Amino acid sequence: MNKWLKQDLWRHIVALTTAIFALFPLYLVIISSFNSTGSLQITSFVPREISWNNYKLLFTSPAIPYLTWMKNSLLVAGSVALISVVIGSASAFAFSRLSFKGRKPGIQLLLLVQMFPAILAISAVYVIMERVQTFAPGIGLGTQGGLVLVYLGGAMGVNIWLLKGFVDSIPKELDEAAKIDGASEVQTFWLIFIPLATPVLAVVTLLSFIGTFNEFILARLFLVDMESRTIAVGLQQFIGGQYSQNWGPFAAGSIIASIPIVIIFLSLQKYIVNGLTAGSVKG
Amino acid sequence: MISVSRGKLALTAKIVLLALISAIFLMLAQSAFAQKEYVIGVFLFAVILLTLFTYLTKKSIPLKFFLPGILLLLAFVVSPILYTVTMSGFNYKTGNIVSKDEAVLQIQNRAFEPDSAGTSFDIKIGTFESKPAILVSDIENKRYFLSTFEKRVPLSNGAVTLNEYLVAQSAPGFSPLPTDQLAAADSTYSGKRFIFKDEYFLSLEGLDVAIVARQTLTYLEQQDVFKNIIDGTIYKDNGRGNYQAGLDSAAILEPGWRAPIWFENYSKLVTDARFRDPLIRVFIWTVVFASATVLTTFALGLLLALALNKPLHGRRIYRSILVLPYAMPSVMSILIWGGMFNSEFGAINALLGTDIAWFQNPNFARTAVIVVNLWLGFPYFYLVSSGALQAIPNELLEAAAIDGANPRQIFRKITMPLLLQILSPLLIASFAFNFNNFNLIYLLTGGGPRNSLDGEIAGATDILISYTYQIAFGSSTQDLGLASAISLIIFILVASISLYGIRKSKVLESFV
Repeated sequence: MNKWLKQDLWRHIVALTTAIFALFPLYLVIISSFNSTGSLQITSFVPREISWNNYKLLFTSPAIPYLTWMKNSLLVAGSVALISVVIGSASAFAFSRLSFKGRKPGIQLLLLVQMFPAILAISAVYVIMERVQTFAPGIGLGTQGGLVLVYLGGAMGVNIWLLKGFVDSIPKELDEAAKIDGASEVQTFWLIFIPLATPVLAVVTLLSFIGTFNEFILARLFLVDMESRTIAVGLQQFIGGQYSQNWGPFAAGSIIASIPIVIIFLSLQKYIVNGLTAGSVKG
Repeated sequence: MISVSRGKLALTAKIVLLALISAIFLMLAQSAFAQKEYVIGVFLFAVILLTLFTYLTKKSIPLKFFLPGILLLLAFVVSPILYTVTMSGFNYKTGNIVSKDEAVLQIQNRAFEPDSAGTSFDIKIGTFESKPAILVSDIENKRYFLSTFEKRVPLSNGAVTLNEYLVAQSAPGFSPLPTDQLAAADSTYSGKRFIFKDEYFLSLEGLDVAIVARQTLTYLEQQDVFKNIIDGTIYKDNGRGNYQAGLDSAAILEPGWRAPIWFENYSKLVTDARFRDPLIRVFIWTVVFASATVLTTFALGLLLALALNKPLHGRRIYRSILVLPYAMPSVMSILIWGGMFNSEFGAINALLGTDIAWFQNPNFARTAVIVVNLWLGFPYFYLVSSGALQAIPNELLEAAAIDGANPRQIFRKITMPLLLQILSPLLIASFAFNFNNFNLIYLLTGGGPRNSLDGEIAGATDILISYTYQIAFGSSTQDLGLASAISLIIFILVASISLYGIRKSKVLESFV
């Protein structure tokens, strides 16, 4: 008992205190979401009731087109994740496997470009897309199509970088064998590399999805119409400055929006931590 | 046999796809040229040529893999960077947004003054000879006429029908606009000049009144100056995007245009106290904020990693709870914290039994920012520190113990130095990330508190990037030129930090 106290007690105290700190906002938002008044004011830290009122509001109130926002987020983040991984893996394959002039400076340039935080060029993106808007209204400022294109450009650097790391780890003998059997580079890519890489491609797709789902500022700048907003922008605009009135539905909305992301994140934890130590992805 | 037909099918599919892509881009390029967006148009043409060249010839196999990625990077990452560099050399802000030609046109259009009597007429808008026209009722003089952009048609009093206020409602050849089309037709009529007499013209004020006005400024194309017709003042191009009279920099014509001013956006950050002082203040807070975040998150993360670095009852549960803040979408978490720090109803004040206006007081706001970022960031360092602790060979620690070192000595002399060596690239990366942690600042405090009544742009919690955003989009004067200049300074700072970190971690060598 004494030994236990000496050795383990401090560990439990540290872990427990931090766990409470970690859970506190989440606990609060959960009990708020079940509070029928929808008020920000906490009358009691112990829940008194379970009311689905806030959740019902989300799907019925015309002031919160919640389902539309959710659909927009899934559409934008989904298409960015899928397209960027397909395009990115082709580039990664070439960087890793093919020899050509300018490969090394190309990789260094890519590293430099992906270090430029997208947000720094945000005024330029804004002005450029404003101009695109004048001749191609479908893909300019204010449209989800334009937002997807900008995201795709931004995702390229990181995705190529991540996927290249993976391709490097596939033994070269495999594609050399394919080459001897007469496969072209394109065939090697589709028939050898893609099947081998499927699990990793899935992980990178999901990471890319989470990243895009979480993106706020470009979406805020691009999507002005209520109906075209993503969930992050929609909820931010909904709660913005109106904490006291809109807290309940916001709490419910943020929980529903967070659950899938938390699940994906927890199931991918291993890969994310590896990605983190390689100095990339969220963080 | 099968493979032959599959090859043919693939070839057909490829050609159809290429044709389709070319057609779409061709259409886009054409409309870009039609809107005088030549740079974008040329880029789109280049995309078509490059695509066809790459996929129809066998000249370069790597390019077949690269092209889509490179094009996306060029279009949406590289070109905005280059454009940022360009904009930073321009006087590009509210009032100086349009091109020079457009500015000249707008100045001419806006430059008119009402006649000395301030005459105005009741009108009806419609069309005459299928052109926009107004039916004007000069009730005082009992005269009625039609006016278009080109001519004025007098009407005999018998020809018009009047309402009870003696305002003409219809005239031969004039078709009044139906009420439901009035709003849509606004741009066709307002701001336009209908013929009156001599140098005077009619300009609409609303949809049923027109005033008599005349041009005040005339553009002398050869000298590139504006001349005031009435008092003879000359407005010259001041080289900074405005026409200016004499030396008074306030006597300029609106709007101006975006004009190259080279390094002025940079130099005023150094020489002009109005820009320099807030920039220095924001820079200091940015460094303090990023350092404090790295220190607090690393300290808590490491403490947890050490605490949980041995089999312990409930370790798995602790672990899954502790990563939750990291798994949550950060936008949601920050907004939730925003509610908790609400001064009237927030949970933090309720819990502490205080009555603090968190976001109205600079120091409380800064504290809140760092606390929230600790919550968001400690799981990251918990995860990576746990990994790093496991990477330290046990033999090393055992050897030290055999040599008589106590646990504290082992930690300080062996574990900690090794950990710092492993984690320093991540600490640097975290510093660089938080240096630009726009979302946290923007969503939690909006950079505030700031004294906007005094025209203050930089708030107490603004970091460089949110300050830049504020300059570009936030305040009433949107200064894209200045914002671009600061963006590039930030990039140079962050890139140096990151490159230093990468060199430390030797990522570059192992990857290339």
